[in-house]
Amino acid sequence: MNYIEIGHGSGGKLMRDLIQNLFLKYLGSEELKPLEDAASVKIGSAEAAMTTDSYVIRPLFFPGGDIGKLSVCGTVNDLLVSGAVPRYLSLGVILEEGFPLESLEIVLKSISESALAAGVRVVTGDTKVVEKNKCDGLYINTTGMGEIARQLPVSNVSAGDAIIISGTVGDHGTAVAIARHGFDIQAPVKSDCSSLTDLIIPLFKIEGLRWMRDPTRGGLATVLVELSGAAGLGIEINEERVPVREDVRFIQDMLGYDPLYLANEGKAVIVTSSESAARVLESLKRHPLGKDAAVIGKTTAKFRGVRLKTKIGGERALEMLEEEMLPRIC
Amino acid sequence: MKTTQNILKHIRSLVPADRKVRIMNVCGSHEHTIAFSGMRTLLPESLEIIPGPGCPVCVCPESDIINAISLSTRDDVILVTYGDMLRVPSKEGSIRSRGRNYRMITSPSEAVALARSNPDKKIVFFSIGFETTTAPTAAILETGVPDNLFILSSHRLTPTIMEVLVKDQEIGIDGFIAPGHVSAIVGANAWNVFSEQYGIPTVVAGFEAESLMLGITEILIQLKRGMASTGNVYAGVVRPEGNVQARAIMDRYFEVADVNWRGIGHIPASGLELRDAHAMKDARKVFGLPEIKESHIPGCLCGTIVLGKAYPSACGLFKKACTPKTPKGPCMVSMEGSCNIWFKAGSA
Repeated sequence: MNYIEIGHGSGGKLMRDLIQNLFLKYLGSEELKPLEDAASVKIGSAEAAMTTDSYVIRPLFFPGGDIGKLSVCGTVNDLLVSGAVPRYLSLGVILEEGFPLESLEIVLKSISESALAAGVRVVTGDTKVVEKNKCDGLYINTTGMGEIARQLPVSNVSAGDAIIISGTVGDHGTAVAIARHGFDIQAPVKSDCSSLTDLIIPLFKIEGLRWMRDPTRGGLATVLVELSGAAGLGIEINEERVPVREDVRFIQDMLGYDPLYLANEGKAVIVTSSESAARVLESLKRHPLGKDAAVIGKTTAKFRGVRLKTKIGGERALEMLEEEMLPRIC
Repeated sequence: MKTTQNILKHIRSLVPADRKVRIMNVCGSHEHTIAFSGMRTLLPESLEIIPGPGCPVCVCPESDIINAISLSTRDDVILVTYGDMLRVPSKEGSIRSRGRNYRMITSPSEAVALARSNPDKKIVFFSIGFETTTAPTAAILETGVPDNLFILSSHRLTPTIMEVLVKDQEIGIDGFIAPGHVSAIVGANAWNVFSEQYGIPTVVAGFEAESLMLGITEILIQLKRGMASTGNVYAGVVRPEGNVQARAIMDRYFEVADVNWRGIGHIPASGLELRDAHAMKDARKVFGLPEIKESHIPGCLCGTIVLGKAYPSACGLFKKACTPKTPKGPCMVSMEGSCNIWFKAGSA
């Protein structure tokens, strides 16, 4: 008898295998099969992008955000990186008996503010209450629908394309780890949790834009490994160019985690033609959320997989880690 | 980057063309930097940097783990230890899978706090590690601990195991990179024995890639000149005499003992147990813990890897049956274990 392990939810290899071997066995629709962050759907002659995500983060409130803000930003960002302009959200809430109404109100206020900032409207919802100890205070599911502005299939990506990250990596994973474990660390690390609406939409009109993904669970490294596999190309990353906050690097050194594998909630990995890289970078840097954006590497046909050029000029492979690095942080 | 390239050039010019040079590091954090910086891909093939016994979790005897599991199943006990120890496999499972009353702590002071807030329980601190973790455990004893706190000491001595390695012809060590944190306690002078008695250059290094490469450079210079001495490229942190006060406190509470090392066996005068004067704090004595014979994990090369006789990639279980998620041997558990580091850093 095999059982679900916590690692099945960590966004890494175990989860990938579970989806491929079990979910797709029974639910392999044309729209689902590509396993993109959002699906392209048709209703009548109208086309739309659709995505869904559940939020079980612990703690519910963390430096830089809370489960409410996260449940809007996460879903909105999935639509944006799929080339869609976010329009509508559904909101499913599962509450534990005994959960403070005051906390619920704070979360709802946060959802309202985040939705306004992200340019989406909550148009339908559902509320369920389960008995005490049957869930961890509050779980949220949101489904998002958006208008498709650009088709960005992974088949767009070709050798020699530039890989851009929109800002520092590992902030969310670090902030949540500190909040959760109660480490006595005095560091101003906040989650980067934010909707990327104003950062990403201007990119839709840049011709050389190829593909995007938000590096949430599993972090930047996992997105790159998936991209390499899906595009059938190698990826070369220059460690020195990957922006990491100094305090995040220090804390993760201490905890033994690699910022490349830590979750982000307000970042995008962007692949563009090498000619358009400068334009994309310039557009990103115009927005405060993109001020640390950087070209971190490129795709190549010379090898498969992801290779990291280290700071001292050495080389190592980035692989899909099957380990739960920090469980339940998104 | 320029400095790095210059050091590398220097290293390449110093490596002899006609033979292999084998330099061993004995610190998990050193191996972490070496693996994650991809340093081996930059060094000449004839220069081998071998990870040695730098992981205290890996060498902690199975017997102590089984005793810790069984203590944690007692209603009157709360077992506390460092996070990695909870996951180390034994023939009886791990503390996390088979234990009952256990907590993870990040520093010994948390064990003291737990003992104060649970006066009706016996708190057993499963205290493991080399000199770096012995010092803080001695420090809580020095400042005074509640009567309901006991120590299960599984501390090990770095210089002793290094001497065992030197005497093992099969390994053939040309030089040692001495551990930075341990050296801060024992002092750079503690390594003099290797140059003076065995003619092996030994250099204390810090944890940046550049510092390690400087350490390697100094060893190669000594080898080229046919000399051996104790070097220190981490002098900002490590003094020749080390931390004298910390050692005095350690000495007050601990005495050198003949102990087992997992996968390696019995080594005289290589561990620390509480002194008889503190027997009432010694979990081994208070709870009458038995010595349990170590079992062999089929296919596992941890014992050989810890001694620097094989690389993790030589193990048939590595990355297959044995991963950080499903560790078969102790070296895959801790972030200081060679197998865990090699798994996470990926191959070049």
